[in-house]
Amino acid sequence: MSKKVKVNIKRQDSPDSGSYWQSFELPVEDGMNVTTILLRIAATPTTVEGEKVAPVAYDACCLEEVCGACSMRINGKVRQACSALVHNLLDEQPEITLEPMTKFPRVRDLLVDRRRLFEGLKRVKAWVPVDGYGERGKPDRMSQPDQEESYPLSRCMSCGCCMEACPQYNDKDDFVGPHAISQAILFNTIPAGKPLEDERLDALAAAGGIAACGNAQNCVKVCPKDIPLTTSIAKAGRATTFHTIKRFLTR
Amino acid sequence: MSSQSATSPQAAAAISPREKYYFLARRLHSITGLMFSGFVCFHLLVNATILASGESFEFCVEKIHILEHMGLLVPVEMATIFFPIAFHALFGIVILLTSQPNMTDYAYGGNIRYTLQRWSAVVILVFLVMHIWHMHWLGKPFGGAQFDPENATSTAASAMQSWALWAPIYALGVLATAFHLANGVWTALITWGVTIGPRSQKVSGYVCAALGAFLLVAGLGAVRGFMTYQIPADGEEAAVVEQANGDDH
Repeated sequence: MSKKVKVNIKRQDSPDSGSYWQSFELPVEDGMNVTTILLRIAATPTTVEGEKVAPVAYDACCLEEVCGACSMRINGKVRQACSALVHNLLDEQPEITLEPMTKFPRVRDLLVDRRRLFEGLKRVKAWVPVDGYGERGKPDRMSQPDQEESYPLSRCMSCGCCMEACPQYNDKDDFVGPHAISQAILFNTIPAGKPLEDERLDALAAAGGIAACGNAQNCVKVCPKDIPLTTSIAKAGRATTFHTIKRFLTR
Repeated sequence: MSSQSATSPQAAAAISPREKYYFLARRLHSITGLMFSGFVCFHLLVNATILASGESFEFCVEKIHILEHMGLLVPVEMATIFFPIAFHALFGIVILLTSQPNMTDYAYGGNIRYTLQRWSAVVILVFLVMHIWHMHWLGKPFGGAQFDPENATSTAASAMQSWALWAPIYALGVLATAFHLANGVWTALITWGVTIGPRSQKVSGYVCAALGAFLLVAGLGAVRGFMTYQIPADGEEAAVVEQANGDDH
């Protein structure tokens, strides 16, 4: 019980100010995760040098890896703070390093603004169109194989891990992101999403769409929900190929 | 406009040229890469015939240059090799500039290949410029063009043996090309939606790796073949050429 863990945190006071490192030391508790660490630091925010500082700002919500709020770089790799257990992390290396995600604008400390993630979902119209007054009736039933293929894609929690790890997702390009491609494939597969199928493929065939993918395949490696993102990406590659040829020939 | 786009006519009107041609350019980049891959396979295999004999290589070059007598060599070369690779290289630079490699943070196989694909591209670009200057008639105004199709084997060998660094430079060029080609074919299969699931991508990965290894062996063999080729003295060579011509007629 007397075992202690040293946590190094990359901090930043405001969106425009520079970043700096601070270290904290606290006793390890049974079943402790990284969110617990941040909670304990917030209670007594004193650095290893004994300096009293402002509590570390961070995002967390569900604490069971379904909401996607607590994504951050833990020991250099992006993942959820809630499912990062301290005793597992200490098996890998003696100290824990926490940094905010780098692909989104920083708000403060470990807090980032993930707006671009949702803009990506908007670009590919990742929703079922239900606006208007008309009666749409029931959509067709999905076959069992289609259901089994689509369900994993529906587990996406918009956490941002795939974007953070993607070498093509950055400020130099307007890549829509692996998550958005996968959601476009999901909504193009489910019958209720079909009415927007062509518009989603238009979006994927536009600048920063599927063609911006560089096939590094980090997305599928870091996805905490084990979503087959690269399978969705290849499906989108095939669908946009046929879609653009069809668009060209029918124009 | 299609009926589904009724919701956003303004958005459709505001499409920029970049927006309009991005997808096409990326797919052309893929096609031109595949075209040049075909040429590289052919080129390295022809070069590897030096391992059989000097005459074999000469024979192949002679057959290729039949196109020249028909006035087709330069047009075919430009249309199927030069313009495709020029586009591939130029647009490749555009793609390279949008990349932010993170191989050290995420040292996964796919990510390492992604990064090596970009490094090898730079190596190949530099190598190609040197290679074209060194061997191709386009290098003539710049003091290069040491290869003469009329005396293919001896001029290629003397060009290779003219500087101690050509062998390592060509070996590096072949290595970068074999990797870039193999990995490029692997990603092209994904890009076009041929290999979709992880298992098919794994299998195609092994096939592409075998292709790359084969090209590497062929290419390095050719480099070794030309480095070790005994260039005949002037008189001897004339006799060889005479004999070769004699066989033909």
